[in-house]
Amino acid sequence: MDRFAFILRRPLQLIPVLIGISFVTFVLAQLTPGDPVRIMLGPRATESAIAAVRARYGLDQPILVQYGYYMLNLLRADFGQSLEFRSSVLAVILERLWPTVFLLLYGLTLSVLLTLTLAIAAARRQGQWVDQAVRLFCVTALGVPSFWLGLMLIILFSLRLRLFPVSGFGESFLGNLWHLFLPALAITIAVAPILTRNLRATLVTQLAADYATAGRSKGLPESFVFYRHVFWNSLLPTISLLGIVVSFLIGGTVVVEWVFNIQGLGQLMVRAVLTRDYFVVQGVTLFFAVGVVITNFLVDVVTVALDPRIKL
Amino acid sequence: MDRRTLLKTAAGIAALATAGSSIFPRRARADGNVLRVGLDSEVLTLDPIKTVYGPDIICQGVMFARLRRTDAQNNQLFPALAESWEVSGDGKTYTFHLTDAKFSDGSTITAEDVAFSYNRMRWQKDSAYAGPFQQFDKAEASGAKTVIMHMKEAFTPFLTLVSIWNSGIVPKAAVTSMGDDKYALAPVSSGPFRLKEWRKGDRVILEKNPYYYRQGMPYLDGIEFRYVPDDNTRVQMLQGGEIDACINVPYPLIAGLTAQGFQIPENPASIIQELLINHSAEPFNDIKVRQAASYGIDRKAICDAVTLGHGKPASSLMAPVLNYFNTDLPVIARDVAKAKSLLAAAGKPSVTFELVISAGVTTDERTAILMQSQLAEVGFTVNIAKVDSTEEWNRLVDGKYQATLNWWYNETRDPDNALRWAIWGDGDNKSYYTRYNNPKVNQLLDQGAAIPDGDQRKAIYFEAQKISFEEVAQIGLYYPNYHDGMSAKVQGFVLNPGYQYSTIDEVKLG
Repeated sequence: MDRFAFILRRPLQLIPVLIGISFVTFVLAQLTPGDPVRIMLGPRATESAIAAVRARYGLDQPILVQYGYYMLNLLRADFGQSLEFRSSVLAVILERLWPTVFLLLYGLTLSVLLTLTLAIAAARRQGQWVDQAVRLFCVTALGVPSFWLGLMLIILFSLRLRLFPVSGFGESFLGNLWHLFLPALAITIAVAPILTRNLRATLVTQLAADYATAGRSKGLPESFVFYRHVFWNSLLPTISLLGIVVSFLIGGTVVVEWVFNIQGLGQLMVRAVLTRDYFVVQGVTLFFAVGVVITNFLVDVVTVALDPRIKL
Repeated sequence: MDRRTLLKTAAGIAALATAGSSIFPRRARADGNVLRVGLDSEVLTLDPIKTVYGPDIICQGVMFARLRRTDAQNNQLFPALAESWEVSGDGKTYTFHLTDAKFSDGSTITAEDVAFSYNRMRWQKDSAYAGPFQQFDKAEASGAKTVIMHMKEAFTPFLTLVSIWNSGIVPKAAVTSMGDDKYALAPVSSGPFRLKEWRKGDRVILEKNPYYYRQGMPYLDGIEFRYVPDDNTRVQMLQGGEIDACINVPYPLIAGLTAQGFQIPENPASIIQELLINHSAEPFNDIKVRQAASYGIDRKAICDAVTLGHGKPASSLMAPVLNYFNTDLPVIARDVAKAKSLLAAAGKPSVTFELVISAGVTTDERTAILMQSQLAEVGFTVNIAKVDSTEEWNRLVDGKYQATLNWWYNETRDPDNALRWAIWGDGDNKSYYTRYNNPKVNQLLDQGAAIPDGDQRKAIYFEAQKISFEEVAQIGLYYPNYHDGMSAKVQGFVLNPGYQYSTIDEVKLG
């Protein structure tokens, strides 16, 4: 069988995963005390108005009946109505999807660039001051909380130096890059150390491997040994780790989104949980689940592409 | 797939990302004469009858004109869409004569539209805030420019209620043809501004309504209400010049911002911060325990510690900006000995209760901790329970609490709606869910609504405040001032005590 064929089966695995996730989140959300309608109308709304709106959204029905309707609607790609935003959940999510995706891709790109630079520099000069500096950076950065880092970046780069805006998403592609630089940097500083430590360790091990020694003994230049053999052989563990980090970041960008006021899915999720906007919680969870599955899928593709030995 | 293909794929994804951002185009920034305001919550609907939620009210307030408008102190009322009015001798019939005015689509505002707006607000099932208008029965058009409004009983507050946001005039034709849901997303409006663009989750962009009935107004070309939930970020955006004004500057940041040349006007709000206590449950069903708690709390210390001097300790159960505020009532001075003797008289030398607060609300967390230590000296053991705000509301409404911190404000200066919200046991909110119910107070409030302004009405409201104060219906803590920040160039942008920018059409950017 072709080594890529197994990948095609992946989408099918999504179905039971999504059903399970939707059921658990639905029941959990409904069992949490709190009335979304009172929040959406404002505390001073009259009891009769609250009752009228509850009935209109079917919130007076038993939970399992509501879940049944929800699943039926889902088959028609109808994710339900957001109580708070008074529009369809799909529309609410799509409005906020792009800033999150953009921020993730941006942050990951910077992270990967920084990781490659630092890990290669450190591994090739193992034990020298560059290596020590990289290790110091990794340990320090891992200990810094994102929200604090975000605030510090704003104070330094936005308010003091006036280089970047405090918040927002920007108007064009370049505007997006400019507006999201600080948040992407905050993500990078959180993610790059994890990847760097991992990649550096693998590179160091692989540099001492027998095949590398064999190459050197045959007179191959060190840079050829490193970039054509050691480097590619060292990538796999870091790519697997990258997959895990991305899964963690999907939805985990909320702290960064909050500090930099980026209206993305992470912020939407937190709000929806706090206001008990059931169908939004549900919808965003499903999107996150799909995002994680897609990430794993991409990691598989890359792994198979890099390592011809893998056949599943 | 080899490495080269992999790289090509990666490049393809990058290209897609680039294309993606042009699929979602963003319009260029508005020009200089647009006021950009940072709000702490997001605007959710633009239909004035569908909400009692802060940001909605602020945004709708500048979009919809009312029959009367108020000054920046919410004190004096002026003719607006109604150029004149008469009240019948029995106080049950109001006749309003309309001025020449148009909606934001250029169509004429008729008596039919006014009657439609009022009847819809009063009787539509999902109208969120018909409560204050309960004596109002129905409106009917009499010709093109006269509207007759019928009350069930004489109803003095009505002439102030016609200035609040949910009595804003909407076009009958647009609402009926679009349907409620579509109208709420793209309303035709009647006030100084109309909707230009609504970027959900981000901002509402309003532009000058060219058909606005006040000639030459508004002075601004537009307003943007931006949603910035984090207090610190909002202030930083103000400092960075990304917004011109922001709501709720955290108290500790006020001094620093002022020193940097920003304006933080100390306008009085109609807000009262208070401890709500459940009269239908132990231990506060006992008046002596309530009084002990009231004497055990140091209101001034709490007010100073939380607002850093930007507020006043509470005496009555409503804010001092409201009419007929009872000035005879003192701010209770803390008296531990008296509090202890009250507890002893109740036969309960030590009392334990749970104080429910909303997690993450810094001011409430501070208040709760201070209260806990102050009451400990009296003999109270206060267990602070932090829950999220949705759950806090649920417990309040269901009466599953002993005490909780909360606040409210009032849309008008008339005390009728305020006290009916706070201490009227016949209301569907059971005296702000405290279950306080004194028939004498209920009767006083019913009388107060019906008689004309004057000494007799004043005496009634003084009496109602005095009784509820003595019985400790709730424990008022402090009256905070507004603490909104704005850059030096913003002129005349004042949030009135009723939570409205009622003079928005006169605001300028210097």
